[in-house]
Amino acid sequence: MPLIEIENVHLAYSSLPVLSGVQLAIGEGEFVCLLGETGCGKSSLLRLLLGAERPSSGKVLIAGEARPRPDRARGYVPQKYSLFPDKTVLDNITFGAEVSEFSFFGRITPRFRERRIQLREEALEYIRRIGLRQEDSAKYPHQLSGGMQQRVAIAQALMTNPRILLMDEAFSALDPATRREMQRLLRDLWSATGTTIIFVTHNTQEALSMGTRIVVLAKEPPHLGSRVMLDLPVPEPCAEEEIPRLVRKVESASQRGKLAAIPA
Amino acid sequence: MTGAGFQLIYAKPGRGVTWALSWLLFAAGVIGYLAISTARHRDNPEERVTPTVWQMVDGMSHAIMSPAEDSEPLPDGATWSQRLTHSMLWTDTKATGLRFIYSMALLLPAVMLGLHMGVFPYVGAFFLRFVLFFDKIVALSLLPILFIAFGIDELSKVMLIVIGVAPTVILDTFNLARGVPNEQVVKAFTLGAGDFDVTYRVVLKQIWPRVLNSIRLNLKAVMLFLFAGEMIASTDGLAYRIALLRRHMGMDVIIPYVLWVALLLFLVDFGMRVLNQKLHPWFEA
Repeated sequence: MPLIEIENVHLAYSSLPVLSGVQLAIGEGEFVCLLGETGCGKSSLLRLLLGAERPSSGKVLIAGEARPRPDRARGYVPQKYSLFPDKTVLDNITFGAEVSEFSFFGRITPRFRERRIQLREEALEYIRRIGLRQEDSAKYPHQLSGGMQQRVAIAQALMTNPRILLMDEAFSALDPATRREMQRLLRDLWSATGTTIIFVTHNTQEALSMGTRIVVLAKEPPHLGSRVMLDLPVPEPCAEEEIPRLVRKVESASQRGKLAAIPA
Repeated sequence: MTGAGFQLIYAKPGRGVTWALSWLLFAAGVIGYLAISTARHRDNPEERVTPTVWQMVDGMSHAIMSPAEDSEPLPDGATWSQRLTHSMLWTDTKATGLRFIYSMALLLPAVMLGLHMGVFPYVGAFFLRFVLFFDKIVALSLLPILFIAFGIDELSKVMLIVIGVAPTVILDTFNLARGVPNEQVVKAFTLGAGDFDVTYRVVLKQIWPRVLNSIRLNLKAVMLFLFAGEMIASTDGLAYRIALLRRHMGMDVIIPYVLWVALLLFLVDFGMRVLNQKLHPWFEA
């Protein structure tokens, strides 16, 4: 059974269709890049997977269950506001484990203090793995660059060992060099942890350089919502000379809706 | 000079000039007052509207060292500390200060209400319309009702302040809580947080410095209602004293009292600002 099943999902905001009959099954351990033009509903689909939104009709199943609210089954890294501004890097990373293992009042017990020491060690290990220095652990998010913030956000999400990691344009605000670094880091973390990743992006190159599978959403015809236009496994490893051809293929798929709008 | 006209927007006054300019109006005020006061005293030695500096010093040293005329006189041979703690200034400041502290303490539930209204949709739906309505009621117009309902003692004065300021604080906190990006809340839930954690550890914690700033902005309103209450119905307090002295044209004490109140309010505001910076090093603004 696939880990994630999206069955004939429709979504509309006040009768404006966003998704019309999206059908998708994603297996454990896949790295899926959701591609599409701005406004094609790829972020909405991610929010459905997250449980932050409910489909107008159809089903979204995580490991065979509907999970209509955000919870620990899925980790989340958004483009902005990904870290808690009032907590240090270390506290941001340990936050998940702290709140999920201890209740609000359980945090005054001595057992919590012991566990906290362990968690801090684990967090420091993560800080090292994502390429930050130990002295960065006491910094607040606003003291870090955008790339560093997203690194910490990934560590924060992975700290609770989610089966699924959902990322929404997570690298879109970064400069190209940092972006490539982050793509490599994410790819490495993915192979090391085996987490299923769903990565929303509008950048075809980015999708091809990271994903094992690319799903393109587009509207066709344009007055309807989006559906899956292309579901493409990325050859592994993806040869450099293959990339231009794949880019053309992917981009023509996401353009199809638009072309259909032009009368012949 | 390039371009047409002045380019004063780009001016960069030096530190000394900035400093001097910032004190200029103070100096002008003091000098102007002294000039007017001297001139008026030359015309009429009995003049009471613009007391001289010495009269004010005299009036204040009285206020600092001896009890008010309407309270019990001190026994002969009272010690310095006894004289200070029974002095007019001290008893007035204490009375006003206590009312101020009660009112501030009562603003805490207002912050909590605003927070829960912002975080929990049902609480918001229940309270929002009513608070918006309440916010539009002119608090001072309620004063007679308060006096009738609660009598003219402390309770009605504190209630006046709370009714006057609480809606603003509630709505401010509500808006701040609503303004926390949805990503933060979703993120907290995906990390395994519950409603409690999200409300207090994520939302409240990150809006708290802004809430303190909002309360700082409302300090003036707190003092306004406090003084209105004291002037109309009170037997002690700084505003009561100012209102009382008006009847005797006691400007030698009124003017220093006004400055003393301004200084106290400045110190409270400054203290809260420093505290805010020290407690929340992550908060930049």
